[in-house]
Amino acid sequence: MTHAIEIKGLGHWFGTGELRRQILFDVDLTIAPGEIVILTGPSGSGKTTLLTLIGALRAVEQGSLTLFGRELHGASDNDRIAVRRRIGFIFQQHNLLGFLTARQNVEMALELDPAIDATERRNLATAMLAAVGLGERLDHPPAKLSGGQKQRVAVARALVGNPALVLADEPTASLDKVTGHEVATLIERLARERGASILLVTHDPRILGIADRIVAMEDGRIVDAAEHRHS
Amino acid sequence: MTPPVMLASRLAWRQLTHQPARLASAVAGVVFACLLVFMQLGFHDALFDSATSTARAIRGDIIIFSRQSETTSRTSGLPRARLMQALADPDVARVTPVYLGQVIWKNPETAVRRSIMVLGADPDSGIFALEGVSAAAERLRQRDTLLFDAQSRPEYGPIGERLARGATTVEVANRTTEVVGLFRLGASFAADGNLLTSDVNFHRLVRDRTPDMVDVGAVFLKAGADVNAVQSRLAGLLPDDIRVMPRDAFIASERAYWANSAAIGFIFLFGVAMGLVVGFVIVYQILFTDVATHLSEYATLKAMGYTDRYLLAVVFSEALMLAALGFVPGLALSWWLFGISAEATFLPMLLRPDMAASVFALIFAMCAASGAVAVRKLRDANPADMF
Ligand SMILES: Nc1ncnc2c1ncn2[C@@H]1O[C@H](COP(=O)(O)OP(=O)(O)OP(=O)(O)O)[C@@H](O)[C@H]1O
Ligand SMILES: [Mg+2]
Repeated sequence: MTHAIEIKGLGHWFGTGELRRQILFDVDLTIAPGEIVILTGPSGSGKTTLLTLIGALRAVEQGSLTLFGRELHGASDNDRIAVRRRIGFIFQQHNLLGFLTARQNVEMALELDPAIDATERRNLATAMLAAVGLGERLDHPPAKLSGGQKQRVAVARALVGNPALVLADEPTASLDKVTGHEVATLIERLARERGASILLVTHDPRILGIADRIVAMEDGRIVDAAEHRHS
Repeated sequence: MTPPVMLASRLAWRQLTHQPARLASAVAGVVFACLLVFMQLGFHDALFDSATSTARAIRGDIIIFSRQSETTSRTSGLPRARLMQALADPDVARVTPVYLGQVIWKNPETAVRRSIMVLGADPDSGIFALEGVSAAAERLRQRDTLLFDAQSRPEYGPIGERLARGATTVEVANRTTEVVGLFRLGASFAADGNLLTSDVNFHRLVRDRTPDMVDVGAVFLKAGADVNAVQSRLAGLLPDDIRVMPRDAFIASERAYWANSAAIGFIFLFGVAMGLVVGFVIVYQILFTDVATHLSEYATLKAMGYTDRYLLAVVFSEALMLAALGFVPGLALSWWLFGISAEATFLPMLLRPDMAASVFALIFAMCAASGAVAVRKLRDANPADMF
């Protein structure tokens, strides 16, 4: 497996009949294992759509999308669910379960893996929360955490299962500048430690610095993919 | 390794217990549904038990009665001679005529007159499956003596108390008679109270009837005889206007009479349905809000790789936990209310294990149905809309 993500000629449409409209046009994109890529572009350019396709949350309609060497075009629902288990998702909202503690929320990401027993789940979740700086707040419910802390729990939940890929859509949008930057660098550090690739969508210019490469989208197409490449 | 079902139900439990006040109101809804269903079934069974109490009080292997008699509370007689014809069958050991009628009873305290059911049969025949009757056989053979049903409605007067004081004289059908003891049969649709006496005394009280018109005939078979074989032989032997039934079938037909003719069965079924609908709506509300207010969390779980089946298991676990949590106090409360109702109505309110089992099944089904409707909302949890 030479690429974490390999996309060729990806197209996508929304709507049916008269309202059917093409959103993505002939998208090509490759992301190497461990590579951190930031996706930017104007509102409505199709960033989120691309991210949901890569995250196996939507079925591929046209073109080829290979994740960890597995073709998603034509994949069954069950195949897509299996692929999702190898991806860590971070959303704009933390989406933590309010009736669970921070640690229980993180453990939810591990309960899908039958090979991990309860003790190990607990230990991994505890360690992960310590790594995001919440070692003292393991048993807090989300309601008793600040916005930044909640997003850290969400980061811990996304990364505790050692995903090969982290997909994040504006993970700092609901946070203030300082907290947002902290969370972004936290995602970067943890992903690098684990060798995970990251594809992160953001409008926030302050966090562009964490990227190995910046890809811009416009009107459903990738533009000047190489232009912002960092050294 | 914990099986996924266990993890799903643990998640359900955590969600349910997160807000104790909400859990309490959901459980209260289920308890309420339980109560409604139990009470309806309790009254239903009690009324039907009491309606068949007269029929069940009569022993015998085979019962013979007139085809025109629809119920023991309104019988047309059959000639005693017909009954005696049954003795011709080699498997018949003996035959006992039973007389049933209504007489006017005067409350010895208030002098208010009221109709009361009276059962009459040879005191030595052991025909009545009622406690205390055979012991009183000797006294019932005396003139104008009778037994009073201690479970009659109180309007007949405090007969038990009076007996304890030695005040035994009462006026029945304008005759001075003596209550020589008590038995327990119970009020029913047809009778608010009951008297029991010998065949001879019966005809002293019920003047318009002669001993050769019998209301019900009880046939006792010899040991080892086949009830169904004898029944069909007797049915062939006796004329068509007479019905011959095994005792069980006789009781069932008595029950069916009340169930069909009085629309009572429907009324209670309606009550049961209402209870279940109320419970369904309450549980559905709770489960639906759980799903609806946590749609993005459920969608996140789907994005993480949780299957629809897992989330269905969570919602169903919640439904079944609510069923179990509501049933236990519902059962206890119903038990208590059954006692109170039995005292108030003089009906035999019995909470039998089989009734508890069927209510549990109904409540379980009700909660599962609420769950099944509520989980349709889960379809709206689309992880692709999360970003
Ligand atoms: N579920 C949907 N059904 C129909 N059209 C959709 C749907 N989701 C997105 N679109 C349309 O697709 C286009 C691209 O949307 P997308 O969300 O991918 O943009 P984006 O680049 O993420 O924008 P933003 O920066 O505002 O989040 C938009 O024109 C949007 O209206
Ligand atoms: Mg977007």
